[in-house]
Amino acid sequence: MWHITKRELYDNLNSLRFALATVLLLGLMLTNAIVHLREHPERVKQYQKGVSEYQNELHSHAENSLYDLAQEGPGNLYKKPSDLRFCAEGGETFLSEYADGGHNRWSTDTLESFWILAYPSATPNRKNVRPIVTKVDWGFIIGYVLSLVALLFTFDSISGERERGTLRLTLANSIPRHTVLIGKFLGALISISIPFTLSILINLLVNSTSSDVHLGTEAWGRLGIIFFIALLYTCLFFALGLLVSARVQRSAVSLVILLLVWIVFVVFMPSTLASIAGGSPSSGPTLDFWERSEKRGDELSNEYDSKRYKEPEDSTKRIELDGEFVIKDAEQQEQLHAERLNQRIEQVNRARDITRFSPVTIVQHLLESFAGTGFERHLQFLENVQTYAREFRTFIDDTDRADPDSLHILGVRTGMSQKPVSPEAVPKFEDTLNLSKDFNTAATELLLLVLFVVVLLSGAYLAFVRVEV
Amino acid sequence: MLITLIRRELLNNLMTFRFAAATFIMLLLVVANTFVLINDYESRLASHNTSVNMHKRQLQETNTYSAGEIRVDRPPNPLSIFNVGFDKQLGNEVRITHVYVPSLWDAGMHGSSNPFMEMFASMDIVFIFEVILSLLALIFAYDALAGEYENGTLRLVLTHPVRRGKILVAKYISAMLCLIVPLLISLLLSLILLTTSTSISLNTDDFLRIGGIILTSIVYLSVFYLIGLLISVVTRRTSTALMLSMFVWGFLVLVYPNMILAVIPQHEAPQERRTAAYDKIEQMWQEFDKERKHYLATDDFPGEDWGYELWGWGSRSSNFILLGNPHTLFYKCRGMMNFHGFGEEVEPKIPHVRKHFRYLGPRIIDTAEKTWLVRKPALEDIYIQPANKERIWLKLSPVGLYDAATKTWAGTDVQGVRDFFNTARQYRKQVINYFYDTDVFGSRQWFSSDKGAADWSDLPQFHYQRVDSNTNAKRALLDVCLLLMINIFLFVAIFMIFVKSEV
Repeated sequence: MWHITKRELYDNLNSLRFALATVLLLGLMLTNAIVHLREHPERVKQYQKGVSEYQNELHSHAENSLYDLAQEGPGNLYKKPSDLRFCAEGGETFLSEYADGGHNRWSTDTLESFWILAYPSATPNRKNVRPIVTKVDWGFIIGYVLSLVALLFTFDSISGERERGTLRLTLANSIPRHTVLIGKFLGALISISIPFTLSILINLLVNSTSSDVHLGTEAWGRLGIIFFIALLYTCLFFALGLLVSARVQRSAVSLVILLLVWIVFVVFMPSTLASIAGGSPSSGPTLDFWERSEKRGDELSNEYDSKRYKEPEDSTKRIELDGEFVIKDAEQQEQLHAERLNQRIEQVNRARDITRFSPVTIVQHLLESFAGTGFERHLQFLENVQTYAREFRTFIDDTDRADPDSLHILGVRTGMSQKPVSPEAVPKFEDTLNLSKDFNTAATELLLLVLFVVVLLSGAYLAFVRVEV
Repeated sequence: MLITLIRRELLNNLMTFRFAAATFIMLLLVVANTFVLINDYESRLASHNTSVNMHKRQLQETNTYSAGEIRVDRPPNPLSIFNVGFDKQLGNEVRITHVYVPSLWDAGMHGSSNPFMEMFASMDIVFIFEVILSLLALIFAYDALAGEYENGTLRLVLTHPVRRGKILVAKYISAMLCLIVPLLISLLLSLILLTTSTSISLNTDDFLRIGGIILTSIVYLSVFYLIGLLISVVTRRTSTALMLSMFVWGFLVLVYPNMILAVIPQHEAPQERRTAAYDKIEQMWQEFDKERKHYLATDDFPGEDWGYELWGWGSRSSNFILLGNPHTLFYKCRGMMNFHGFGEEVEPKIPHVRKHFRYLGPRIIDTAEKTWLVRKPALEDIYIQPANKERIWLKLSPVGLYDAATKTWAGTDVQGVRDFFNTARQYRKQVINYFYDTDVFGSRQWFSSDKGAADWSDLPQFHYQRVDSNTNAKRALLDVCLLLMINIFLFVAIFMIFVKSEV
């Protein structure tokens, strides 16, 4: 078997395709590193600026009074950018970089609206007249370019030998057919791993020369996993190439079939299926979101106004009603925002589920979850934000309850504690990446990928065993 | 003789597996995607209609002129099915108001669409052609000459008194005939689907534009066939030719368009350009504010600011505060008042208030026009020029040229979208003229509805018509010509090499 592998390896190393693949992969990986070095420091700076602004604001509110803190809310909560963004861009530009935790909506002479958690949407392209192109990240290089190269390495591995008659010669020796197949498979895998590993190493070398990019031990572990996923994904296309190559008599026909399959599954399936599954947002409410939110707000205020104005200005009953109104209004609005968010997430999840038919989407999802970018990561961030919002509100409640001078009526200035709060005691938001969670979401996809590889490999084996030379 | 050669080549090509497979895949993808695209277009159209009605209703419900928000909507372009371009992405509703001149950068997006869904790449028919037609052309071309060298049939043919040029022409014509078949069939099918859809109405101009797209597609196809032929004649071995063709394809279609913009130096207009223009605009508005304050200080009720201190029942929003956005050089000064009654002590002041607003309206309009003269070239320098430079880099590949040309034909390029904003600016002039003619600024309805509400029924209607196909053709001419030139250049190169080569 090692002889066959070695033979294949020498064959490949001297070929034109090996040289071209090396140049292509090196060029792409270098581009990727350069772009990352240009963009990443800016991103980190932006994040740090956002976080420090958030902390300053929280500080000043806390020093004013508990009411101010409770009314203004925590402010903008920022998503921590991933250090491994160059591995998978994951559509991050279409996901907002922060959640809005301080939404001043209205104020009257005596009352002010309380903060709610809102989810702004990122629309980076609305005013962008520049040409839009796919970001060259590892996901692109592995998903599209590497898979194409893999097909170009294997399309003639069996049919080509049959055409030249060397297959007959090989099989005339006492070598079992599966050994030949595995030898060919390993030969191709090793010969493609060489330029791929080389280009990845150069990419990482360039990246780590910069002082702005810090890759910790955990990041290196993730990079290792990503590397193995890439190899697994390449195996899938090797298996496909061997399968078709074994079944088809001529290598040109084999290539045509392989390329058409590649185009359908890799280039077209992801976006076509996504648009079918995502579909048009179901006829939908005719009222615009903001109009609906305004209407609900008006209804609530009408309901309470009649009750509130019956009570005298300073009575506890009035304060209680005022507080109830403010809190209810905030709850209702927050719920509206959450509902809209959930609808959107559901639509995206539907689209993401169905695009898993395409191996390139699987590998991109996998890369995203290990690079800590993309939609799953965004959901994790939103969850972090929501947990923090609960924590923040509990803190307000508890602090208010601890103050003996307060009337313990949330929502109104006169009903709440007026004392300043120690800024250190206020819970701070820090976005974290949770690796174990990544493994859970990635497990299904990883298994799916392995399943594809196994099915195709056994298909290739069966095809090759039964083939007539 | 030529006919015989063409017939031979044609039969050779038509009976192959690659031809059948190519046609099948083309049809499958184009038809499946046309369904999706038509659906998408229909939902965008529905959302457009909803928002047009909503804007109309909201305007009718507004009781004062100053609070009225006239909004115009950009209808989706039916030809975005062929090349979506910027049609879906750039803003599609814009306010028409006297306080600023609207541009692409002030537009908003209507509809309850899901911004997350932008994560998924959208596909259009031109993209399918871009990817598949080029691949097909290369698959047809790689063995056209190399195969004959290997088989020795070329030698056989050349023993007859046939000129080499004729062989080349015959090969070219027959292969192109074969390649055009799947292109035309799939396009015809998608056109049939388009015409059966009730919501899409295509006029003569649209069919001319589609004709232009088909023409450009054929030229694009020919470029890739000739690239394949060149590789074939240079390498002389089918396996090498095939490998090289595939890498060239991967580079031109997949790698170059996505990589080049990251590699080239960033074209950014200098920050000073933006700041200088913004400062100038801000200064103009400050001058306006000074004039306004001067007027208020010298009128019959000095010290009272009618923008702030007119008290009554009703609401008031966005007071006369100067408000700008340095990023898009946007600046405005607007007061919206919606009163439905005044106390008796205010009533004697009303004529002065009206006089004040009659004075203020034209001043605001003048200032807005003046700032637009600064803003327009600045926006051009900051946003349009760098984008155009990037587009030139993309056009170094035939894929980029093809994409640009079809976008222009379909009218979904930046210019096509900007046409809408030109129309919107003209409409703004009409509205302002109407305001002047009916003395809207000096009317009581400008700020209050207590003596009759604002009447919007005579307001000029907004009509938007895409530019005619002649203009589209003129805009696309350069790119199509460049594609043609690449064709000629490649053909000459192939001819030279082929004539000189030994068999």
